[in-house]
Amino acid sequence: MTTKTSLLKVILLGDGGVGKSSIMNRYVTNKFDAHLFHTIGVEFLNKDLEVDHHQVTLQIWDTAGQERFRSLRTPFYRGSDCCLLTFSVDDNQSFLNLGNWKKEFIYYADVKEPEKFPFVVLGNKVDVTERQVSTEEAQRWCQENGDYPYYETSAKDATNVAVAFEEAVRRVLAMDERTDHLIPTDTVKLHRKPRSAVACCS
Amino acid sequence: MAELMTPDSRRCSYFFLYDGSKVKGEGDPTRDGICYFYPEETPLDRQELLCGQLAGVGRCVSEVSSSPVRALRLRHNKYAIRMEDDFFWALGCSVEVPTVSVCELLDQLINLFCFYNGPVRQSYQLNGREPLAARWAQYLSHLQSGSSELQHIFSCVRTMDSTNVDPLLLLKAALILQACQRCPLVLAGCILFRGRVVSTQMSPELTMKVMVHESETYATSHIPSGPGSSSSVAPSVSSTTVFLTLSELQDLQAAPVDKPFSSRSTPHKDAPMKKTRLSRTLSDMASTESDTSDPASDQAPQKTSFAPCLSESESSMFSPSASQSSTDPSNPPPHSPKPNSQQAEEAALDESHYHSFHSDADGGGPVCGEEDRSARGPGSQLKDGDPDAVCETALDREAETGKEESSSGGGSEEEVGGSAVGPEAERGPAPGSGAPVDPAGAPLIPMTLYLHRVKSLVLALLVQPHFLSDTASVEEVYHSSLASLNGLEAHLRSIPPRVPGAPGPYLFAHFDRIQGTLTTNLSGRPGGAPQHPFVRATSLLHSHFCNTETLQEAIIRSAGAAVYGTSSVAQETYFQQHGGSLRNSGIPNHQDSAFSLPSKARHRLLKHGVNLL
Repeated sequence: MTTKTSLLKVILLGDGGVGKSSIMNRYVTNKFDAHLFHTIGVEFLNKDLEVDHHQVTLQIWDTAGQERFRSLRTPFYRGSDCCLLTFSVDDNQSFLNLGNWKKEFIYYADVKEPEKFPFVVLGNKVDVTERQVSTEEAQRWCQENGDYPYYETSAKDATNVAVAFEEAVRRVLAMDERTDHLIPTDTVKLHRKPRSAVACCS
Repeated sequence: MAELMTPDSRRCSYFFLYDGSKVKGEGDPTRDGICYFYPEETPLDRQELLCGQLAGVGRCVSEVSSSPVRALRLRHNKYAIRMEDDFFWALGCSVEVPTVSVCELLDQLINLFCFYNGPVRQSYQLNGREPLAARWAQYLSHLQSGSSELQHIFSCVRTMDSTNVDPLLLLKAALILQACQRCPLVLAGCILFRGRVVSTQMSPELTMKVMVHESETYATSHIPSGPGSSSSVAPSVSSTTVFLTLSELQDLQAAPVDKPFSSRSTPHKDAPMKKTRLSRTLSDMASTESDTSDPASDQAPQKTSFAPCLSESESSMFSPSASQSSTDPSNPPPHSPKPNSQQAEEAALDESHYHSFHSDADGGGPVCGEEDRSARGPGSQLKDGDPDAVCETALDREAETGKEESSSGGGSEEEVGGSAVGPEAERGPAPGSGAPVDPAGAPLIPMTLYLHRVKSLVLALLVQPHFLSDTASVEEVYHSSLASLNGLEAHLRSIPPRVPGAPGPYLFAHFDRIQGTLTTNLSGRPGGAPQHPFVRATSLLHSHFCNTETLQEAIIRSAGAAVYGTSSVAQETYFQQHGGSLRNSGIPNHQDSAFSLPSKARHRLLKHGVNLL
């Protein structure tokens, strides 16, 4: 189990300008570029990491937040193992839009059981002094919407970025384990021959 | 009759390089001078015959007329000719192919060789004939590969079908290239997907050259391009040494590099400054318009900027006055002798480093340092440096040559095609093909071609040779583009192939002279019966347009078909309407349906993005 490397697709969603690309770049290349252009469509980077003795390759998909890029980004929601809903703590509107992002994701990713899907909420730009969204507000939203883990991050000074991604991985792995446990109990093993039956008929 | 046979799918029937310096004495066999001959299976005595005869004719005509021959036309074949010091190239095509196209193909071939191998003379001094023969064969097959008959006529860059790609993705590609240019060691780049251009900052000619290496590495992509060639960053990155002509380099360096993301959507800003375009994307439509209004854009961009210095001082290409005249004051100054030689030395120093990147370890690396220094000497004869066509004065002389020859020589089968080729240089069908040849030879400047492959997508960058030793720069470029390249690849891969609709009751071909692209609704298959007259007519009209600069519109007709052609400095468009009997009584008739072709073409082609208004 521990030697197997699994590929996990996590996707960053949220309004334009909240810092999704910067979070990804900070996490994968440990760099911060204040002059990034709008992401057009989608981009992604891979990162190998080990969480609780599980080797994982995290494929982080960064998406365009602007409405005009919607048709480009939505086809790539499918197959995501985890969704990082991102807002900026200095932009109240981006916080209010979290619900819409969640809806959009569930719709286009065609999530079968939305209430069980692992979402993680990131409040980015905590380095900024003028906050518009308080920690309590954000935590309340997370609790009310499905008890999602909430992290306050800063791509600029690297606060909590790695922690958030590791938590995302843990959530996915926990999901997998749950389903792993479920599968054996619900299945019928076709290859096991019922010996008694032979005896009975002959 | 060979002439009536359907044209061979091969564009060229013969090609050879003959080195006259190897055959000086009376007893020297001709075969000693044959560096490469295509088709390779041609019997040696036939090779000798052709090389000997053509080289003899070429030399004779040149000496009589004291100007170089550009084309020889025989009954079944026509040959494009290039002579540089002792080298003699000939490329033979069917007579149906326009002479301009044959000459262009030969120039392309020689330019390609020089781009990857440096000057021809030095390549042959440093390498055996066999490895270089393989190169010629490779370039020749690349230029002929998968080309339709129309592509024999226009040498065009293969691009993505832009009608099938979201323009935002083209913008994304252009932005990736601009982001790479934030590193000052990056000159320019292009992005290719499955062997087609998505976006490029280079001239069509340079883009086409870069694409050869891309397709080469693509073919061998299972082996990640040799052990030494992959960089420390990732195995998907490789590089090779390439050689730019001075005008190519000046063009790249003089291009206004918009610093980070100041957006291409303001074409009017750079259009008056410089004709060179950085990216083939959204903004191009507008700047093409502005080109049209500029009389100077008759000539290729690099030609306009470079021509003065040649006429003023042929021997010292680096003279300050020359560089003064060739640049816009607002642009960074081009090479002055000092930094350039410095750069060459740096290149020589770096060579040991990047030689290890050079997958085809047969000496591309070592050439560069020496070559660049020696090239500066007035005695150097590195003409291969600028294999681009002929300048106008040479052509005028050449036209006379043609006349002289036909009157004096009067050979039964031969005529010198000088006059036919002439105008090509005045308005080269592809920009840049007409950079003037410096009689003393132009130097070639070694640069590095950096390739980063993401599955079917390739980022190709022309970078300064010391880029690769600058780990910080390499990492910056690599990391700043990786995520976007991954994303772009995913986007492009997810585009469904366009279902070819009904071809419509018409045929058209549109050649963009600025971007070197061809748009057509002809199926790629050669020899399609109903298409053949159209292709022939296009070929004929193209010749006429190239030869007669003032010709703007023409209709060419047979008993059963009429093809309309229109040409400007920016484009050439050909159109044929199917069906509807042609009312052709032989005298001008206002009911003649051929006269409605121009308006039909305008109307029909709008939906293909071709605006003839």
